[in-house]
Amino acid sequence: MQVVYSSATGDTLQNELTNLTTQDGVEGLLMLATPSVDITTDSFETTLGSVSVPVCGGLFPQVIVDGEPRTSGLLAIGLPTAPTVTVVSELSEASDDLDASLPAGGSEAAFVFVDAHADADGVGSLIDALFRTYSVGLSVVGGGAGRLNGGGGEPCLFTGDGVLEDAAVMAAVDQPIGIGVRHGWNEVAGPFRVTDADHGTIRELDGEPAFEVYQEAIETNTDAALHREDFFETATAYPFGISRLDGEPIVRDPSAVDDDAISCFGPVPEGEFVTVLAGDPDSLIGAAEQAAETAITRKSIADCAGTLCVFDCISRQLYLEETFLREVEAIDADGWPMVGALTIGEIANDGTGHLDYYNKTAVVAAVSDDA
Amino acid sequence: MPERQQRVQALYEIALTIGGKETLTETADAALAGYLRKLNCSVGGIFRATEDGYTPTATIPADPTGNALLSVGINRLEELSSEELPSHVKPTAGDHCYLFSLPDFGALVIGKQGGEIDTATRSALTPLNQKLAEACRNKLVERQLREQRNRFEAVFDAIPEPIADTVIKDGTEEIIASNTEFDRTFGNTTETPDTAAVPEVGDNSDRNPTQHNRPINTDESDRRITTETTCETVDGSGEFLFRGVPVAGEQAAEYIHLYVDITDQKRREGELQRYERLVENLPIGVYRTTPGPDGEFKLVNQGLVDILEADSKAYFENRPVSEIYADPDERAAFSDRLLEDGTVNDIELEFETAAGNRIWGEVSGIVTETDDGPIFELALQDITTRKERDQQLDVLNRVLRHNLRNALNVIDGNAAMLENELDDNDLRSHVKGIERRVSNLEELSQKASTVRSVFDQGRSTTTACDVQALLMRVAKEFEDRHPEAHVVVDTPEKSLYVNADARLEMSLSELVNNAVVHNNRSTPKVQLMTEMVDRDDETAVEIVITDNGPGIPKHERKAIESGEETPLQHGTGLGLWLVYWAMSLLGGDIHIDDADPGTRIVLRLPQVGADAQSQSDSGTGVAVNSGD
Repeated sequence: MQVVYSSATGDTLQNELTNLTTQDGVEGLLMLATPSVDITTDSFETTLGSVSVPVCGGLFPQVIVDGEPRTSGLLAIGLPTAPTVTVVSELSEASDDLDASLPAGGSEAAFVFVDAHADADGVGSLIDALFRTYSVGLSVVGGGAGRLNGGGGEPCLFTGDGVLEDAAVMAAVDQPIGIGVRHGWNEVAGPFRVTDADHGTIRELDGEPAFEVYQEAIETNTDAALHREDFFETATAYPFGISRLDGEPIVRDPSAVDDDAISCFGPVPEGEFVTVLAGDPDSLIGAAEQAAETAITRKSIADCAGTLCVFDCISRQLYLEETFLREVEAIDADGWPMVGALTIGEIANDGTGHLDYYNKTAVVAAVSDDA
Repeated sequence: MPERQQRVQALYEIALTIGGKETLTETADAALAGYLRKLNCSVGGIFRATEDGYTPTATIPADPTGNALLSVGINRLEELSSEELPSHVKPTAGDHCYLFSLPDFGALVIGKQGGEIDTATRSALTPLNQKLAEACRNKLVERQLREQRNRFEAVFDAIPEPIADTVIKDGTEEIIASNTEFDRTFGNTTETPDTAAVPEVGDNSDRNPTQHNRPINTDESDRRITTETTCETVDGSGEFLFRGVPVAGEQAAEYIHLYVDITDQKRREGELQRYERLVENLPIGVYRTTPGPDGEFKLVNQGLVDILEADSKAYFENRPVSEIYADPDERAAFSDRLLEDGTVNDIELEFETAAGNRIWGEVSGIVTETDDGPIFELALQDITTRKERDQQLDVLNRVLRHNLRNALNVIDGNAAMLENELDDNDLRSHVKGIERRVSNLEELSQKASTVRSVFDQGRSTTTACDVQALLMRVAKEFEDRHPEAHVVVDTPEKSLYVNADARLEMSLSELVNNAVVHNNRSTPKVQLMTEMVDRDDETAVEIVITDNGPGIPKHERKAIESGEETPLQHGTGLGLWLVYWAMSLLGGDIHIDDADPGTRIVLRLPQVGADAQSQSDSGTGVAVNSGD
């Protein structure tokens, strides 16, 4: 797939995108922007409108270009077949009847981006609807868009029609893809039953204040100490895990504490059991490497040439710091150009299992150039 | 985490997804998603067992036919009986499909790619599957009950009669539901249906229905109520057939009330009773018989009893209809004719009464088809008196036309011979007087026979007559016959048409003749005009005959205007009566006014359109008075 990475704005960016779309084999654009791009300007909206092919994308904390994380600029990925772009508006208000708003099946894969700061239950409803409708018939990859330190109410997604907030965008394509999903976090405490939760906020674990239980679990089982004032810095190393049989637990990343309630990126249903996870650089990097290997060895893309699209969690980068480059290198596979974004939550099914919304997880999609 | 603990957690979390949803589909959807999520499976379905096989209640993906693994599972499910579940299919390497029984509901199918569900977990799913089956069964029953309720509500509202569901609370009956027709009839109760009062139902025997509660059947074994009653409605009051049916259940004091509006039926019944009384008291015989040479009486009114001098209606029971005929064979001919034509009018037949007297009857009737075959509906009018008068008229006519005229001829001839033999002028003048009187009597005799001819033509005619042409012809005829007279026709150029036959020409000739012959002036003048007038939303043609004669004596005009003669008020001849009768029979009328000088007579007849011209007839084919 042909890509353009640009730090330009205005007419220059518009010209670069025009040049990309006029090249052979470019029928649609996947655009991944960094926070350095002000997508709220009229100029950016004009640029979106000028693109002659369907376009879909979002703003992410970082993008990956040629195997390197970048904190600025915009990455445009040319899609070899015209995508079917679908917008789900008012995602926070989404209900169980989302199925009807999804496009008919028939596509091989879909890139799905959601507003990471939308209501967790709305995101969960979208994920459920996608799985109910397509199951493994549609390979889905993507993640949460937005600024890491941002909040709700800021546009972070876009299509050719303009920018969006509290929404989801979906680009269904006819390229076969292979997907690998791994995180490398391991259980260190628990399980704890979620006895009081609402959306992505856990108020009680095993009938006790959630923060107290979480704090005790960390301080009892690790060397770390958890304080309210620097909650995020410590908690980012000890996410929650929602267990499932025959698979890695689904990671839920604690983002803040309010009194004793812990907020997470992604829904945590009341009644579920959660564990406290911990990781080390080697296990995380190893997991990312396995994800890449799984992706490029999937039967669906055997003997294909293509591009690795990586949606890795920004919190992994925050946790790994400078060693994150090792994770990117570990994902990098010979002969597969690597692009992608560091997301706030990841979306994927691996073509065989359940579709989920993950945190702190490396999602690698090997996208075939052939339709 | 130990595998066993992880399994217990997963099963617990699956259990949380079972139940608590509104509908069967939502219940199945949520549970299936829980199974797949916690077992990390990719496809699945919950199927309801029916007589025709398994019907999907929920599947992931939504279209199961597009997924090979799930399709394999569904096909396998169709091959197995419920006793053969659970079952396990492994269609391709690494892919597994598990089929579980959902007792008394159906089956659960789960597909897993790239791995399998271990035996212990599959075994542990059994109680969950039972819980899922129970939840689905409950929702299915709820759905069936809901559908039944919806059907009931649809029927409830679709019934075109007022219906209400009521309960008796603390001795007061209140409406808890009502249909649209109920609200329309008795008032809108939708705003406060729980407090709306049941329409009060009264006893028909009571003059004030609102003072009574609805009828209550005191028979505890059968609390159904059916009664006719009067109810207050938004439009006043109405007659209803009230049915109250208790609703079985714990709430014993609940009823369904149905009010069938029989107001129209009651009104029709009243009308029918009045009609029956009218028919019963008609002076004609009304009766119903079966067809056939003999026929059987099915119904007779008192009029027939009276006409046929029977002692009661029982006289006609088991008596063949042919027996009332003077000639019973005529019954067969009458029956055949009525069956063939479907209707008969004014058939004159001779009957024999129960007392053995012969009478004449005029019979009209129709054939009515009933479930038992055709029936004759007949009316018989006793025309014996009329027939006898006809006979008398025939004799009188013969006497006037034949006997009297022959006698007058003899008198006239003898008078002529006598006149020839007399030289005395005085005596000759006496003979002349005899001859004039004889001539008048001959004319009167002729008119008497014309009377019969006028009536023999019957009422009205469909022949269009060009009035202008007729007037011209009459005028010319009289100018030729009476050169001293001046007969003028003053009509518009456009022809006017009326439905008339030779009787109109006879009438005009009679009137013009009177105007000329009985005119005392040296030059009798007669003017014939036509006018179009609107009378009672109908356009009529008026033929106006004006003369300059002495006028018609008042006593003759009065006799014509009143339509009858009395010993003190009578005319001198038949001429005006002929015109009067002819115009009446043609559907017109005559008006006589004074003119200055003379008389103005107007003959008015309905105008007919130009499209009737093809039938135009100037008046031939019937013997009429020539007007001489």
